[in-house]
Amino acid sequence: MKKRPAWLASLITWPIVLLIAFPLLWMLITSVKPAAELFSTSPTLLPKAITFEHYARVLQDTPFLQYFANSMILATSTTVVVISISVLGAYSLVRFAYPGRETLASLVLFTYLLPSVVLISPLYLMLVSIGLANTLASLVIAYTSFALPYALWLLRSFMAGIPQDLESAAMVDGASRMGAFIDVVLPQALPGIISTALFTFILAWNEYLYALVLVNSDEARPLTTGVMTMLISAFNIEWSLLMAASVLMSVPLIIIFAGFQRHLTSGFGAGGVKG
Amino acid sequence: MVQVVFEKVSKAYGDTVAIPGLDLVIESGEFVSLLGPSGCGKSTTLRMLAGLEQPTSGSIRIGDRDVVDLAPAARDIAMVFQSYALYPHMTVAENICYPLKKRGLAKADRAIKLAEVAALLQLEPLLARKPGQLSGGQQQRVALGRALVREPSVFLLDEPLSNLDASLRAHMRAELIGLHRRLGKTMVYVTHDQLEAMTMSSRIAVMRAGELQQFAPPDEIYNRPANVFVAGFIGTPAMALADGSLADGGGHLVVHVGPLAVALPYAAAARPDAVTVGIRPEDVLVGEGPWQAQVRLVEPTGYETIVALDAGGLALTARVPGSNALRVGETVAFDLRRERIHLFDKSDGRRWEPAGR
Repeated sequence: MKKRPAWLASLITWPIVLLIAFPLLWMLITSVKPAAELFSTSPTLLPKAITFEHYARVLQDTPFLQYFANSMILATSTTVVVISISVLGAYSLVRFAYPGRETLASLVLFTYLLPSVVLISPLYLMLVSIGLANTLASLVIAYTSFALPYALWLLRSFMAGIPQDLESAAMVDGASRMGAFIDVVLPQALPGIISTALFTFILAWNEYLYALVLVNSDEARPLTTGVMTMLISAFNIEWSLLMAASVLMSVPLIIIFAGFQRHLTSGFGAGGVKG
Repeated sequence: MVQVVFEKVSKAYGDTVAIPGLDLVIESGEFVSLLGPSGCGKSTTLRMLAGLEQPTSGSIRIGDRDVVDLAPAARDIAMVFQSYALYPHMTVAENICYPLKKRGLAKADRAIKLAEVAALLQLEPLLARKPGQLSGGQQQRVALGRALVREPSVFLLDEPLSNLDASLRAHMRAELIGLHRRLGKTMVYVTHDQLEAMTMSSRIAVMRAGELQQFAPPDEIYNRPANVFVAGFIGTPAMALADGSLADGGGHLVVHVGPLAVALPYAAAARPDAVTVGIRPEDVLVGEGPWQAQVRLVEPTGYETIVALDAGGLALTARVPGSNALRVGETVAFDLRRERIHLFDKSDGRRWEPAGR
């Protein structure tokens, strides 16, 4: 095959990248423009002056940091809960024989067929009745309820690719079943676990609907709803603050992605776990 | 002394009975092969011995302990898997040391054992590598090393050579024989390859559909197969098997098979009427003899030629030394080594031998 020249590939890909990245770029630019320049009748692409006053205001004058902490706690606990349950659940679905195993696996996926709007009212009433309404814990439970099925299926396919001989060997070599699971299965499933954890974290970090309905106090509000409620009122939208907050919101995800990108690609590409 | 005893061991998966009832005594220091076609229950038997499968009933003893309720870890066994089952995320050294680590051996002692095994299997240059960076033969040696390092009382090997290419397999076969001789440990070896079983074993347990067909040293399995199945399963090319009958030919025994009436050097005492007659290819002597056959197929292999013959409807196979000038369609004379003809009672398929033989 004749090799395509590199400049041709660049010519095609860069405009697409720019097109997709433009809103993000605009967000970044808006967040550092002085307020006066923001509404100028001839909009500028590159700001004439760069200011970080919006960032300072978001961090000092608003409950942004409270929301940020809430989101962190929320996303991290959801990820920990979902991964702990789904790793063990997926292993059980793959390795243990019990009646109704396949049915159970399909039923788990069935929960995905229901739109979240349908689930939100009953879930709210249940959380109220167990006294968890308006807490971060209520959101952890809600997010777990819809992140878990997906995590379970993702990990199940990962675990199914791990040869059973490996565990048998570990058990003959002197490990208990749990020991074999920890020594052999977990390291083999690690790329899958990382992918699933990232997926769950992002899901929890970006979730809006449940956060809006289940929580209405600043103590428990995550970033998504928090930023919207504090900066958007019926009469005014604080664009520069909103953009600064949005940039700050994206930072953790960017850091996590950069850190785990290698695992993520190896995770989604891992079809062949060699025995 | 570590004897391995299966006593009335059965295994069923739901309604499917894999092993109806197995009795087997493996003596201390023996190299025993479990041999049979796929699905004969040989791997299940080994996995029950390892503790990876639970027998439905019966008892399994290793030494003087009943191990049925013991976890694999507590059985003092080591196992080599067909897939090698090396831990991909560990280096060769870590793989070999894993069983020692699990037994709580101190790091310094682990290093000593590792060095011993690495020297024995020539693994020294590979210790820092991961299994994925090794060739099949090297992986095989690491798997052996992991089993050896523990010095268990019984070694279990589940088709350990079947993923290797032919020349490497012959080499590893020789290494395994040497290893067994040096260690003197009981080894139980599962294979579907009769060459492996014949060359390595002190005794072979031939299995079929979960039932033990014959348990004997290789030469006895070959020369005196206990039944029609063993007769047909062992030997390449396979023994020719045909229905026949026994008669009294004036004091001595005569077997009628196809158009042939073969006088056997035995007295015509009590005998079954209907028999299955088995004739090994090397017992068909092509060239001279009282009978005629047509050549149907000639397969030269170099040092010998396998010839398929049709003796008036009776299909026979013959081994002829060297490259032979026989041509398909040609008619040749042949004789049989009469004392080596195998007879099986048609009613139950078991070997029948005249009394006093």
